[in-house]
Amino acid sequence: MKNKDTVSYIIAIILSIVFIYPLYVLILVTFEPVYLTFGRIYPFQLPIILTLSNLINSFHQVGLIVPVIRSVEVAMLVSIIAVLLSIPAGYGLQKLTSRVTNKIILLMFVVNMMPGVVVAIPISVYFIKLGLENSIFGIAFAQELVVLPLSVFIMLGGFRALPKDIENQAHVDGARLHSIFSKVLIPLVKVPILITFLIAWMTSWDEFTYAVIISPINPTFPVKLYDYVSRGEPFVASSFALLVTVPVVVLVIILQKYLKGEYLSGGLNGV
Amino acid sequence: MEYKLELKEITKIYGEKKVLNNLNLNIVSGEFMVILGPSGEGKSTLLRSIVGIENIDSGKIMVNGEDVTNNPPNKRNIAMVFQNYALYPNMTVYKNIAFPLKMSKMPSEQIKEKVNKVSELLKITDVLDKNSTKLSGGQKQRVAIARALVREPKLFLLDEPLSNIDARTRYTSRQELKRLQKELNHTFVYVTHDQSEAANIADRVAVLHNGVIEQIGTYEEIYNKPETTWVGDFIGTYPMNFIDGSIYDYKDKKIGFRPSWVDESLNDFELEISLIEKIENNYFIHCNLGEKNIVIRSNKNYNIGEKIKVGLSKFNVYKDEKLESVIENKKEKASAD
Ligand SMILES: Nc1ncnc2c1ncn2[C@@H]1O[C@H](COP(=O)(O)OP(=O)(O)O)[C@@H](O)[C@H]1O
Ligand SMILES: [Mg+2]
Repeated sequence: MKNKDTVSYIIAIILSIVFIYPLYVLILVTFEPVYLTFGRIYPFQLPIILTLSNLINSFHQVGLIVPVIRSVEVAMLVSIIAVLLSIPAGYGLQKLTSRVTNKIILLMFVVNMMPGVVVAIPISVYFIKLGLENSIFGIAFAQELVVLPLSVFIMLGGFRALPKDIENQAHVDGARLHSIFSKVLIPLVKVPILITFLIAWMTSWDEFTYAVIISPINPTFPVKLYDYVSRGEPFVASSFALLVTVPVVVLVIILQKYLKGEYLSGGLNGV
Repeated sequence: MEYKLELKEITKIYGEKKVLNNLNLNIVSGEFMVILGPSGEGKSTLLRSIVGIENIDSGKIMVNGEDVTNNPPNKRNIAMVFQNYALYPNMTVYKNIAFPLKMSKMPSEQIKEKVNKVSELLKITDVLDKNSTKLSGGQKQRVAIARALVREPKLFLLDEPLSNIDARTRYTSRQELKRLQKELNHTFVYVTHDQSEAANIADRVAVLHNGVIEQIGTYEEIYNKPETTWVGDFIGTYPMNFIDGSIYDYKDKKIGFRPSWVDESLNDFELEISLIEKIENNYFIHCNLGEKNIVIRSNKNYNIGEKIKVGLSKFNVYKDEKLESVIENKKEKASAD
């Protein structure tokens, strides 16, 4: 037993290092003077001289602030739509037999299996006709393609995990559909709703393919960031990237107790 | 007030299976009706159909002569306690009990009064502020019953309400339920697979088998005069013994008898003893009669392997698995012939 624990810890530590390393480099690049980043002799990646000048520089780049605000708007829109659609979808799918439900879920993920560009280009043509190009609604609707399958899957798991007969009991107690939802079901799937919201938010936050194809003129933050990198200003970009990563990391740390596997696997009944 | 529930030719199909098959049942006000049957026979389905959360495929449900088959649950004024109690986990005990009253838009002063009254009746006043998930099995069951009672429903359905609690509490709960039902003069339909429960609390027992009520009556009636060999086999600690009718000149028929109906002073047939169980002051003796295994009750202790001669003080005659006649006293019957 002891041995097994030790092995698990070692694996966890190695994995953590693999995942945290890029973040560390990002921090390093952000806080070190530019000449040190260029002149670095690997593998000595220790912070020697720290500076805030990169950060201050990047703040003077007002060009990045507007895309950040736009990204927030899009992410909000995406997560609200995802929650509003995945609640009824998950509720409805839970009523079907799991054989049928699992097939439908599989079908939903097919879109995600195709390369985003293949789907995005025909959509963008269509969106131009509808006047949705270069608008936050256009980006949001397109990003739902990526977000919705997972959202529905999570909500389905949430509804499936509810105690049996709770809904029937509410019927028998004289509740109508709207009270059944507002007083009984929704309070019981609060956590899956929160997870759906968060995952949708974070997916949208760094989604690139759909955003760049649907809205090249009014770019979201990742698109603009790429712009800076390709224009040869990686330091501004990385400082800014770090700044906008912080709130996401904080959010995840606060809510991590809800991000446990059980809520993400509840949808896998009888596969 | 009088209340009468009539189920007429009810059929419920799941896939290919007719879970309820032209089932008829009448329930009258003030009675404690127990639906008894093995697991999977459709007892829960029957209750769900009565309360209206399951649509039936054909047949009619009548309340006081009025057809309610297509009424939704909230228009039926029937309360139900589900098998796993289905307490709302996001609410306190108080809110759970108050929920049906809130749904009927009762003013909160009145709700408070009613909830307090019913909690006193069920001795759960001290857990009213607790979350419903923090209760013991017995408490959950009481809360579920309180929530059903608080509406003062016309009819009260309970789906195996005691199956999830420990044996001792189960026994006292049984008695309390019975007392409650008589005190409030409510009409109860109570589902169970446990026949000792049925024997204990039922005014009438309805035995559900193959989608129909195979027999209905007091437990004693069903025990002594099972209408079919299946009921005889299902009811009783020991199944009813069925032997070839030719022993008493009933050719092509079966004779059914309970272990206690054996009369050791008679010499009608011979048994070979294979196993003996002692229960309180009686011996339940498993014997072979030819190929057949039967169980008889005696207050004498025999030896395994011993051969004894016995007869029957009374028995039932079955033709094609159905009860044909009840022979109360064999000697009388013989002289009447
Ligand atoms: N929703 C359902 N879908 C399909 N079959 C069902 C459903 N509910 C119950 N059944 C089947 O109907 C039969 C009766 O079930 P049930 O009423 O729960 O029996 P009981 O309560 O007597 O144990 C069982 O064979 C069960 O598998
Ligand atoms: Mg059942």
